Amino acid sequence: MSLLLLPDLFLLLLGVLVLALDLLHAKKPSASGSFHLSWTGLLLIFALLLALPYDQQFVWLGSYQVSGTSLLCKQLFILSALFTVWLARPYFRSGGNKRGRLAYQGEFYGIIIFASVGMFAVVSAGDLLTLFIGMELATIPLYILAGYHKNDHRASEAAMKYIVMGSLATGFMLFGLSFLYGAAGALDFAALKQAAMAAPASPLLGLGVCFIIAAVGFKLTLFPFHMWAPDVYDGAPTPVTAFIAVSSKATAIIFFLILFHGPLAALHTSLQMPLLLLAGATMTAGNLGALRQTRLRRFMGYSAIAQAGYLTMALVGPRAAAWSSILYYLLVYAAANFAAFFLIAIVGRDREEEFSSLRGMGKQNPGLAAVLMLTMFSLGGIPPLAGFLGKFLLFAAAAQQGYYAMVVFAALNSTISLYYYLLLVKEAYINEASEARPMLTVEPLQRTCLALLTTAMILLGLWPGYSDFVVTVLR
Amino acid sequence: MNGPLLLTTIWLLPFITGLAILPLNRDAHQKIKQISLLGNGLNLLLIIFLLLRFIDSAPTMPPGSHASHFLFAYRTAWFSILNIEYNIGVDAISVLMMLLTGIVIVCGILASWPLEKQSKEFFILLNVLVGGVYGVFVSLDLFTFFLFYEVAVLPMYLLIGLWGTGKKEYAAMKLTLMLVAGSAFIFAGILALYFESGLQSFDLSRLALIRFPLAFQLWAFPLIFTGFAVLGAMFPFHTWSPDGHASAPTAVSMLHAGVLMKLGGYGCLRVAIYLLPEGAQFWLPFFLVLVTINVLYGAFCAIRQTDLKYITAYSSVSHCGLVLFGFAAMTFAGLKGAVLQMVSHGLMTALFFCLIGMIYSRTHTREVDDMGGLMKVMPFLSVAFVIAGLAGLGLPGLSGFVAEVNIFVGAYANPATLNRICTVLAVLSIVVTAVYMLRAVNSLVGGPLAGRFALLTDASLLERAPVTILLACLFGMGILPGWIIKLVDNAVHPIFNNMMR
Repeated sequence: MSLLLLPDLFLLLLGVLVLALDLLHAKKPSASGSFHLSWTGLLLIFALLLALPYDQQFVWLGSYQVSGTSLLCKQLFILSALFTVWLARPYFRSGGNKRGRLAYQGEFYGIIIFASVGMFAVVSAGDLLTLFIGMELATIPLYILAGYHKNDHRASEAAMKYIVMGSLATGFMLFGLSFLYGAAGALDFAALKQAAMAAPASPLLGLGVCFIIAAVGFKLTLFPFHMWAPDVYDGAPTPVTAFIAVSSKATAIIFFLILFHGPLAALHTSLQMPLLLLAGATMTAGNLGALRQTRLRRFMGYSAIAQAGYLTMALVGPRAAAWSSILYYLLVYAAANFAAFFLIAIVGRDREEEFSSLRGMGKQNPGLAAVLMLTMFSLGGIPPLAGFLGKFLLFAAAAQQGYYAMVVFAALNSTISLYYYLLLVKEAYINEASEARPMLTVEPLQRTCLALLTTAMILLGLWPGYSDFVVTVLR
Repeated sequence: MNGPLLLTTIWLLPFITGLAILPLNRDAHQKIKQISLLGNGLNLLLIIFLLLRFIDSAPTMPPGSHASHFLFAYRTAWFSILNIEYNIGVDAISVLMMLLTGIVIVCGILASWPLEKQSKEFFILLNVLVGGVYGVFVSLDLFTFFLFYEVAVLPMYLLIGLWGTGKKEYAAMKLTLMLVAGSAFIFAGILALYFESGLQSFDLSRLALIRFPLAFQLWAFPLIFTGFAVLGAMFPFHTWSPDGHASAPTAVSMLHAGVLMKLGGYGCLRVAIYLLPEGAQFWLPFFLVLVTINVLYGAFCAIRQTDLKYITAYSSVSHCGLVLFGFAAMTFAGLKGAVLQMVSHGLMTALFFCLIGMIYSRTHTREVDDMGGLMKVMPFLSVAFVIAGLAGLGLPGLSGFVAEVNIFVGAYANPATLNRICTVLAVLSIVVTAVYMLRAVNSLVGGPLAGRFALLTDASLLERAPVTILLACLFGMGILPGWIIKLVDNAVHPIFNNMMR
């Protein structure tokens, strides 16, 4: 045993505890015990993650390995779970959201935590089986969460779509992994690496990788597997949407990083072209799709598709550049996305979650409007916000392999995205509301979270501490 | 105060001013303006101090030197992830551009004193914009250069969209998207420089010593040059400029046409031409044709306009074309003239937009045909307008003359036939300029006074201040251009020698 395993164990324990506590006061659906237990527990685990040594490696039973890199990923997952819990809190109160109140608070937090355990397993995987089980554990809870608005037909549609498409993807993944197993004759990464080095052109490997790209591409919302995203983003409750947009997407891209810069590194050269094509198609599909949206969360869905395109583009970079740029960007992306979803939650309390609900914000709630502007600028990659450096690093990873034309293409795509991010800013600042509406109310918790996220968006772009740390850990 | 600290203070001060406005009450309009004026006025003094120190300590460069000499240079690691450094320093061009920025922003704040609508946001954004502009001029690291460049471009969207007039939302979006699309090219170009140099460094002065392979320069140069030239309003990428300038509020038009467009020219010179000289040699004749179109097309378009702001905006397209024209001439005098034109046009166009703003606030129209005889009711503004018009058509004794003479002489000095033809064509633009300038000036100040304008008042003392400052600068540069030319000579030599290596 090693200290490095503690976060994973504690997280598992926390999930069980939250469920158990919920059983204790099953009669009182509004009790806040599970909420406080969840967020304190997650915060403590985050503190533990920060305190662990990042220069050591520990392998457990040959198939579960914890290194500095996986600890970095775990930080991200814990933060994402933490903010999801905070974001979800008002949804369990009456009047917290226009669509109605959610029930089963304890289960909700428990499911979020168990999904995070699955993500922990993905980033600590030492063989294909752990990778697969982790991926499933990270996905299946989300099917439940997507339909959490039980009586809302849009939520049911979203959950149905998600589970059907997701199961199909699971099938693909299992099929692909079995090809890899066939090529290597074993499940562990070391054997797979040897097999890939010995015969990088083997059709078995190629087929396997194709299926895996399709399966993980579904979770990452790569074109042409992205169709479900806008519907699910719009149908699921906002905290779930945020969790899917951040954690699930991060798991998928890290899954690719682990495979393509680990056991399948020998195939990396031949994978660059297909990956770039997918990335280019994905960002274009996302950006063009977002242009005509009027519902905020559908819009965020398309924006997230475009962001997935930029992330995929960085996969073609050399190992260190790809890992560091993607990890940095994921954190930046998480901060901006959570800020956006907190804003949507605030707007959605008693208005429809549509563009026009933002009108007049610049005059009525100047603070919120400023946060909205900063968030959109960070998503659009405008300095000095963190999104700028994030995109710079992603594109630099592709440029390092000489794909300058792709960089131009992606940067122009990012210009298109700026158009629709500015549309939101325009709604908030320039367009006048058609009728007088009461001011938006912001709860203290939401205010604190938005302040934290805004600080993160600004600080990550100016303060080199985090990115330097990532570089040292990867070295 | 040591040099690097001075430079850092200068770019940081506008941001600090913006922060100082942040906690103020939204209705404390006077206080907001006073703080902005104080911050930027102080900054102008600092820049003048910087200029004096620069003149004092600048060594006279031997005409044969290749490496640009940056004074007050300082560097320290920032983001180790891509060897990004905080690397600052100035040469004469940047100091002059900073001086221009300082003058224009102070005048701009004075000119927007009557503004009451959401003044807090307005002045914060204005300060962010100016901070970005200063940042570009002091940066010697391509990453920070690009970062500040974007910082300077983006506030424009809200500044035009929220406080503008006319088709403001359309104009704001068009301007922002075109400029950001331009920076997409710059972005790729900068990354290419970083990796192809083999240095893994964004350091401008180290990159300048690298002789990039010709094949690389041939595609990288047009990429970067075009990217910057979008902001320099090069044909056919100039279409954002008339709409943007016409819709923007006074101070923003002043700053944008006066300073921001110069960032385009500055970037072309500092990054594209300085780092990729062989590419420049190959491509500049092609760009020469484009900018000749610029110069003529802008002037001819201005003739057909009836809105004062559109006239000035198209004349800006034409005059900014002259900046790029000077670069494309590929002679020493041409480069020098281009730099002078950047300063001269900045002052002149700032004065124009400042005056138009003041006149518009009285007459509530910008249509030339609706006005007339304004000399009778507002002599001060009218005389200033006449002088600005004369500066625009290059009258000796005013700044425009110094710059244009250098550009045209420089362009003709290049013996290539294409250059000769283009120069002759571009010189013709002066005639066209005279047509639209004199026509506009004449119908504005001359003729009978319309009855509804009879009760208008002349400029108040507060309004006279920015106009006087800008007029003084126009005359100063026109009558005593010697010291500026000497400074510019020093800075242009290494760039020119690099281009001809």
